[in-house]
Amino acid sequence: MVDVEPFIEDAVAEIEAEIGDADAVIALSGGVDSSVAAALAYRAIGDRLTPVYVDTGLMRKGETEQIRETFSYMDSLRIVEAQDRFLDSLAGITDPEGKRHAIGEQFIREFEQEARSANAEYLVQGTIYPDRIESEGNIKSHHNVGGLPEAVDFEGIVEPVRDLYKDEVRTVARELELGAVTEERMPFPGPGLAIRVLGEATREKVAVAREACHVVEEETEAHDPWQAFAAVVGKATGVKGDNRVHGWVVSVRSVESRDGMTARAQELPWETLQRIQSRITGENDNVARVVYDVTHKPPATIEYE
Amino acid sequence: MTRIAVIDNHGQFTHLERRTLRDLGVDVDIVDNTTPPADIDADGLVLSGGPDMDRIGNCPAYLDLDVPVFGVCLGMQILAAELDGEVGAGDYGGYADVDVEILDSEDPLIGSLAPETRVWASHADEVKRVPEGFARTATSDVCDVEAMSDPDRDRYGVQWHPEVAHTERGEEVFENFIDVCE
Repeated sequence: MVDVEPFIEDAVAEIEAEIGDADAVIALSGGVDSSVAAALAYRAIGDRLTPVYVDTGLMRKGETEQIRETFSYMDSLRIVEAQDRFLDSLAGITDPEGKRHAIGEQFIREFEQEARSANAEYLVQGTIYPDRIESEGNIKSHHNVGGLPEAVDFEGIVEPVRDLYKDEVRTVARELELGAVTEERMPFPGPGLAIRVLGEATREKVAVAREACHVVEEETEAHDPWQAFAAVVGKATGVKGDNRVHGWVVSVRSVESRDGMTARAQELPWETLQRIQSRITGENDNVARVVYDVTHKPPATIEYE
Repeated sequence: MTRIAVIDNHGQFTHLERRTLRDLGVDVDIVDNTTPPADIDADGLVLSGGPDMDRIGNCPAYLDLDVPVFGVCLGMQILAAELDGEVGAGDYGGYADVDVEILDSEDPLIGSLAPETRVWASHADEVKRVPEGFARTATSDVCDVEAMSDPDRDRYGVQWHPEVAHTERGEEVFENFIDVCE
């Protein structure tokens, strides 16, 4: 386990030594890895760091407001409103890797512009140890590794948490006092809600996934899952107020894990599952049914795409 | 300090093998499986799991090195296939939790887990026949050979993943292997 205080001291010193008097940028995702990397880099070089947060329109409910609040102490914070550009770029794409690719491309376009206007010579990234190994293993492509450095000609890339595991990053976040929201926030995939809707990521499906994820996060809180969310997995028949509906099927997933590498489907009480079902079908006219995913990892993955 | 090399056969959990060993206080590196055998400097080797017998690099040659070897999942299947055992498709995929019965409580690697242990697994293939000199040391309802050992040559294997958080007492297996290496 990482020894937090000396780690922070060393990391800040290393960032200072690497970046010197130059300027740097970092992409904030709202997740704990990039938040910790940004906080460390900000300690080292202050406002010569420009943290950039791109609102892709694929974020969790309330995420952008939360970022604005958590990082308000950084005067250099930039928030890019790119919701429509991302959703337009996803039109007609059904293949999961195709969706990831489209989001990655659009992200690079948005970020490149900010990096240039900030005159940044260095890129800071929140890459953690498993990212480096997993992107070799070809299970899924991570959009936080690779891509960016080819598009923008940086002097150097600084990865202050590259040797840490997720749970270790969280202990560092606690020490940096990043706020309970960032420290304890559940993992959220880089491509966001786009991979919590199977097939094409339309505005309608993304909106259902966002509301349903919010309900699941609220209702499972007392059971302290490692990750809990909902995904839009297809269409099915329902009947609401004597009217037949052909609506979305929402799958609810709640798992226990240490590091996301293996996971156990949580044994949630029937009442909790029923409350989730009732709220999701009640608050969303276009949802016909809610199912609970009981599969562990392996054989399933935690996310659906 | 005891030095262990984790040979990477492109498994998802390779880095967790490194982490477990690191947390137990030994010197550990992840080593590419294309590294020439002569360049390997370690007191013991862990052969990681992986997706495919065709991507095991120089693993067969590492078996001739005079250090203890511990194969995990595909790593154990490499031991069986390269020595004179046999590997084939299982009737029933072993995924997530499996109850394993320990057959030899004296075994240096897993004997301390006897009489049984709850593990996390992920495999379609399995060892059908253990090589000459090996004994089957554990079994389960879904897989006949859950572990095998040849303590005379210090060659060991388990079909499950002792490095993942959901395996109970997985760390203990690595502690036992470190004892063998020391």
